[in-house]
Amino acid sequence: MSSTHGIAEATAKRRFGKRRTSRINYIPLFLMMLPGVVYLIANNYIPMFGVLIAFKKLDYAKGIFLSDWCGFANFEYLFKTKEAFIMIRNTIGYNLVFISVGLVVALSIAIMMTEIGKKKIAKFIQPAICFPNMISIIIVAYLVYAFLGSNGFVNKSILGGHGIKWYSEAKYWPGILIIVNFWKSAGYSSIIYIASISGIDTSLYEAAKLDGASKMQQITKITLPIIRPMIILMLLLSVSKIFNSDFGLFLQVPMNSGMLFSTTQTIDTYVYRSLMQLNNVGMSSAASVFQSVIGFVLVMLSNTLVRRVDKESALF
Amino acid sequence: MKIKMKNSEKRFQNISLIIMLIITALCIMPFVLMIAASITDENVLIKEGYKFWPSKVNFEAYQYLWAKRETIFGAYGISILVTAVGTFINVTLTSLFAYPLSRQDFKYRNFFAFFIFFTILFNGGMTASYIVWTQLFHVKNTLWGLLIPNYLMGAFNVLLVRNYYMASIPVSILEAARVDGAKELGIYTMIILPLSKPVIITISLFSGMAYWNDWTNGLYYVTDARLYSINVFLNRLMNNIAFLKSSSTLTEGANLVGLDLPSVGIRMAIAVIAMLPVLIIFPMIQAQLIKGVVIGGVKG
Repeated sequence: MSSTHGIAEATAKRRFGKRRTSRINYIPLFLMMLPGVVYLIANNYIPMFGVLIAFKKLDYAKGIFLSDWCGFANFEYLFKTKEAFIMIRNTIGYNLVFISVGLVVALSIAIMMTEIGKKKIAKFIQPAICFPNMISIIIVAYLVYAFLGSNGFVNKSILGGHGIKWYSEAKYWPGILIIVNFWKSAGYSSIIYIASISGIDTSLYEAAKLDGASKMQQITKITLPIIRPMIILMLLLSVSKIFNSDFGLFLQVPMNSGMLFSTTQTIDTYVYRSLMQLNNVGMSSAASVFQSVIGFVLVMLSNTLVRRVDKESALF
Repeated sequence: MKIKMKNSEKRFQNISLIIMLIITALCIMPFVLMIAASITDENVLIKEGYKFWPSKVNFEAYQYLWAKRETIFGAYGISILVTAVGTFINVTLTSLFAYPLSRQDFKYRNFFAFFIFFTILFNGGMTASYIVWTQLFHVKNTLWGLLIPNYLMGAFNVLLVRNYYMASIPVSILEAARVDGAKELGIYTMIILPLSKPVIITISLFSGMAYWNDWTNGLYYVTDARLYSINVFLNRLMNNIAFLKSSSTLTEGANLVGLDLPSVGIRMAIAVIAMLPVLIIFPMIQAQLIKGVVIGGVKG
């Protein structure tokens, strides 16, 4: 009875709505969006045309738009340098570790957290493991310095004074940066998996238990298959960002130390250093445009793949 | 059989708990070291290094900072100002932009949705942004440089708010209001805003955290020490430490930040002070923040 009433009401509403749409005054809506549109043009769209700078020989005397074109010269020059190889290798290499190990870490934490979810202490653990992600990377850099600096905990207390000069030995930094990255982001990245695991119908587990399934079997046969679409989605999203790096992690944590470039330079830090420290707009813009264009291609590709896996989760 | 199974369940739970407690301890440990170092006697620090359990405690570092409080409080003031104003503008712009996008009867909604969505897909890169903001809009060494680039409105928050409006504000309410003769702006302020409190809180938290923790705008657009926010201040201090390690000319670097070069303990004290607001506020907002991440997490 009430459902038929509901349908009747909905139909009436639709008709009513249609009649009204023709009379809607769009001007207030446009005015509401105006400040946002202006900001997007300034912050996002004008810089998009700024990619043209990479194809110019920038001359401030002539101005940005009147500088001479130089074709792909900036790119050719960039890719001839050894630095181009190093920064691309580092960016992709670190990302591969972050993505693969990160998935295992985030899933493990999520499974363990749901296991202890009912205990009171979980209410304390979850915020505590998310906290490192809430502070700025500058403070993280200070924390790392407290461990690795010349008066640091590691040198003075663990190595007994026979210190290692951490900030001038490049070979240690892949390990350090990987540890710092997971220390900072592991808890936070597990949130999304905790949410999707807690959405699983508990009667599935009850039934499995009655059939004598062990905990491991429950995880591999119920939990993981059910959240598989979410896992694939998160993986594809992170793969589409594989040419981007956490600028702060790679610039601040190694304290911008020149002796560590071979293992800490990524595309983002290179763009910053050539622009702000070396004043080489050509190289900087070439690297930054290279990153944007590849990023665009990768987002489009991964979205196509996501659509195949799960249309609902696709970005568009 | 049943009892045995229960035991294995119990064991798994206990192992999980132990591992999670270890992870929690690892997450907290560095902060303890930092706080301990900041209250350790300077001579002990130089001799024994940073330790979790200082053999001699004093608060000289904080007393020194209190004596030099103008610099630190100035940086705090800038951080608070930029965070408050930036978050307010962000929430206003985001909500105003998201509302028309949520309206099924707005003919151009797809165009505007694409207009904002495209900014997720493609960007001009940092170099282009820098040149646009400095050469075209001249924000270098102004407060605008901290406030405007990057954080004023973002596609992620807009889509979050739009989805919220679409899911939780019934079309019938809007139509009833229109039949009663309400104007668009009236509908927005009297109906939409009061109903959207939860999502507004969520995006305020996201935006507030982004502004408070920002240091990149400071790095690119601000070199005037009077405009340093607390994180920019910490960053410059860090650079000076690095600079001092590579050369022996002390004075120049120290003067840059308007302080004598902080000694070993004082660096950590400044970092503690910079972290304090987040440490105090985070426990209050964490539940809401985590909820927000769950709602928006995938597409962020």
